[in-house]
Amino acid sequence: MGDLRIAVVCSSNQNRSMEAHSFLGKKGFKVRSFGTGNQVKLPGPSPNQPNIYDFNTSYDEMYKDLLRKDAELYTQNGILHMLDRNRRIKPKPERFQACKDIFDIIITCEERVYDQLLEDLETREKVENHPVHVINVDIQDNHEEATIGAFLICDLVTMLTECEDMDDEVDEILQEFEHKCQRTILHTVCFY
Amino acid sequence: MEEEDKTASEPSNSTSTYDKVVDLINQASLLQKDTQKISNLKQVQELIVNKESNLLDNFLDEMIAFQTDRSVDVRKFVVGFMEDACKKDPEILPKVIPCLQHLLQDENINVQKKVILTLSGIFRSVLVWLSKTKFPTPEMSQVWDLMRQMKLKVYEMLDSDNDGIRTHAVKFIEGVVLTLSWKTPESEIPKTTKPESDICLDIVPESSKYLNVRKLEDEGVKMFDALLRFHSSPHISSINLMTVMGSITNIAKQRPAFFIKVVQAFEQLQVNLPPTLAKSQVSSVRKNLKMQMLALLKHQCSFDCLSSITTLLTDLGATQNEVMKAMPKLDETRKRKA
Repeated sequence: MGDLRIAVVCSSNQNRSMEAHSFLGKKGFKVRSFGTGNQVKLPGPSPNQPNIYDFNTSYDEMYKDLLRKDAELYTQNGILHMLDRNRRIKPKPERFQACKDIFDIIITCEERVYDQLLEDLETREKVENHPVHVINVDIQDNHEEATIGAFLICDLVTMLTECEDMDDEVDEILQEFEHKCQRTILHTVCFY
Repeated sequence: MEEEDKTASEPSNSTSTYDKVVDLINQASLLQKDTQKISNLKQVQELIVNKESNLLDNFLDEMIAFQTDRSVDVRKFVVGFMEDACKKDPEILPKVIPCLQHLLQDENINVQKKVILTLSGIFRSVLVWLSKTKFPTPEMSQVWDLMRQMKLKVYEMLDSDNDGIRTHAVKFIEGVVLTLSWKTPESEIPKTTKPESDICLDIVPESSKYLNVRKLEDEGVKMFDALLRFHSSPHISSINLMTVMGSITNIAKQRPAFFIKVVQAFEQLQVNLPPTLAKSQVSSVRKNLKMQMLALLKHQCSFDCLSSITTLLTDLGATQNEVMKAMPKLDETRKRKA
């Protein structure tokens, strides 16, 4: 079961999904990360002035852009540090809806993302009815919660990959996980 | 054999493909690493199924022999190969079907699941093959009989102890119901890369002496009823429940004859959720139910049960806006009805 293809998905493929991508990658999992939003949003000088990019902008370009705009602000709030980490993992954010690859487990970090993802899977071309477990673990979008979230996701993925028969045991594993992490989990199975 | 192939229309090309396939298969049987072995076999599949399908018959036995490989992934690959090859050349069905029957009882659950997923496609291939003939050979009758036995076996798997096997059995039965029923102008056929997955009873000629269309249609209805029974079973697991909910929604959208029955089944479910579900599973199931109901509302057949669907959606917490957005365009529906 070590070959399970895992995707971690948040809205902008910057903080929560990338923290988990980094963590799971280091543990040797076959992991990719995505965002489901229409655009990539990063905090700006005030809550109503976010920095908005499209999914084709590389992490490096965003890094340079923010460095030029206000190096002090974006160093202090950790955005530059995050972008620097991200550009070492992969060139640019990826939108889930644009990826046609097949996964065995998809973990989303927010209910809205879970909904968007299910809607997308529903309208896709069906190829071979390959089942995929879609699981939502709510994680707030800040650095601390992203770190805790990555630990939780890693715990969950470890349990799912180490069990003998995931399709048969997933219900029990999720209930145990839910009890341990004290968060409500959403879970469904879709077919590619 | 090689000499014979040299006389083909493109002698050098054909011979070189033949040699290449021999080489790839020989290597595959010696390779220790599963991934390398599968990579070789995939190349063979491409060569003998897609590139030069006249070679398929020559190498079928060699490829099928890998069904006894010790590696689960290799055995799963062989199942996929069989499906692909049968679509290309149904004449090999008599050789492949007994192997699939054997693999359906494989000691490994993942191989069994792969066979179950493959079987709805195989069933369609068998039906197409038999529809084209007026006088079935004994071989054809045998294939039909083995297929019937496998259908029954998978149907019984709805009662399996293994959750994943039950999930896969539901998907198989969904495929059988779609095949053994009729398309109508209101059928919403999903986008697919495999056009052959849209085969239904239309292909069976009324005059067929061997395939009885009415009997097949009855079988489709029986299979659909089995899904409904499974859907309303009191101790169903949340994953099985959501799978069967998705399956009956697919059936309702593609085969509108079942539409009202599906809406009624969802109404029943909403007031009678399985007591065994944990709190968060109830949330997941209700969310799923809302998604299925919105999908049904979008269908033009929802016109006949609008009030049931919208009431259910309101109970499930859908906003007025969500409901209005999914509402079918009444003008179009009326026009069609007129």
